[in-house]
Formats: sequence, structure tokens, C-alpha cells
Amino acid sequence: MGPWGFVGLAYGIVWGTILIYWFCLKRRYKEAETELARLKAVAERLDDVEA
Amino acid sequence: MAAQAPVKKKRKGIVGALALAAILIGLYWSLIVAPPDAYQGEVQRIMYLHLPSILTAYLSYFLVFIGSGMYLWKREKRDDILAHSAAEIGVLFTALTIIEGSIWGRTTWGVWWTWDARLTLTAILLLIYVGYLMLRSLIEDEDRAAVAGAVLGIIGFLDIPLIHMSVYWWRTLHQPPSILRPDKAPWENIAWPLLVPLIINIVAFLLLYFYLLSLRYRLGEMRAEIRTLRLQREA
Repeated sequence: MGPWGFVGLAYGIVWGTILIYWFCLKRRYKEAETELARLKAVAERLDDVEA
Repeated sequence: MAAQAPVKKKRKGIVGALALAAILIGLYWSLIVAPPDAYQGEVQRIMYLHLPSILTAYLSYFLVFIGSGMYLWKREKRDDILAHSAAEIGVLFTALTIIEGSIWGRTTWGVWWTWDARLTLTAILLLIYVGYLMLRSLIEDEDRAAVAGAVLGIIGFLDIPLIHMSVYWWRTLHQPPSILRPDKAPWENIAWPLLVPLIINIVAFLLLYFYLLSLRYRLGEMRAEIRTLRLQREA
């Protein structure tokens, strides 16, 4: 592998890994957001029933 | 904990957009505009990733240290969330630093890895914080996990001064700091055409770091709210 091959390997691994982490973080974020909204809706319904 | 305000979401979006712009400018400057180094040639371009990523990792562990200390002192959940979030991102940047360093080492030293003091201590740093994340996920009781994590988070941070001083205390293959030295200003140690892309990349990594940290921190907040709501439902 030539010098540019090593440079490309380093840049590819770094930015590829960061991109994968960002995608995974976004997915976890969306899942938590959906779950939180669902639980809040359930809690509100229960409050209404109790009231 | 309240739902996230639209202002905070907008701020997060602005930091993300700035980070993306800085990353693209950094890539253009590092790979196209910057000249090759007089001694190392093109492979020196790995430095534009290597130094910003380790500085980002150090900043992350500093926040783990602060968050852990504050949690042990005040027992406020937000400090624990900060420490946990910063540890996760710190692990990412430490692992990337070791990988970049390994590729750079292969081209300059002829080996992918050597048991040099600085490299070994950095690997230990990575293991400590991987251990931190494992510990957090293995202890079911949230408060106990937070306390155990805080203790390990503080102990782990003590490795960073050792990493910094390792090149002075031991004979290592890794060179001593060549840019950030106490005796000279950075521009006296490196030519401006090489310093400019380095500064741009440090700024880009820091913006990216604060963007990722804000996302991860909010995720931690939401998870805490979910746990509270679930406990309320069960009660």
C-alpha cells in the first residue's frame, strides 16, 4: 500500500466509524423519544381516568 | 425533567450544521490544500485526525471526571448523565486515536503496534472506560451503577497525566509533543501551511464532539424519564 493508501485507510475508518456511531445514536434517540411519548400518553390517560 | 425546549433543539441543529461545515472544510484543507510534510510525505496527513481526536478524548474524560465528582458530591442525576454520555463518546475517540496511530506507526516506525509507554497507557485508558461502560450496564440498580461508575470515572482520569508525561519519563518510540510544547508557541514548531488545517480540524472535532454530546446527553435524560414513568406505572 502506498502513502495515500494509508491516509485513505485512516480517514475512511475514522469518518466511517463516526458516521456509524451517529446513525446508531440517532436511532437510539428516536426510539427513546417514541417510548417516552407513548409512556407520557399512557400516564395522561390514567390521570384522566382517575380524575 | 421537562420535555426538550424547541430552542435547545434548534441550538443542537446549529452546532450540528457548523460541525458538518467545519468537517468538510477540514477534509478539503487536510487532503487537498495542505502540502506534504518534508520528511514524512503524504502520511503526515494522518496528524490532522490524530491530534484532534486525542484532544477530544481528553476533553471527554475531563467531563467524565467533573461529572463523576459532582455526582458523588451532590447526587444529582444530570451530573451522572453527563459523565456517562462523555465516557461513551470518549471511548469512541480513544479507539479512533489508537487505530489512526497504528496506521501512522506502520508507515513511520514499520510496525502496527509496539508496547511503547504512551501507546500502552492509551490502550489502558481505553480499557478503563470500556470497563466503565460495561460496569454501568451490568449493575441493575441505577444509583449503585452511578456511584460505581463515578468512582471508576475519577480513577480512570488519573491515567491522562501519566500518558502526557510518559514521553518524558520513559524512553519511548512515540515522540515528545512537537506542537503543543510549554517552551514555544505552536507556530514556532510547525509551518503555517500545516498548522492551519490542524487548527481547522481541532475546531471541527470539538464542534462534532459537542453536537454528539448534546444528543447523547438528551438520550440519557429521556431514558431517566422513561425509567421514572415505568416505576410510577408499576407502583
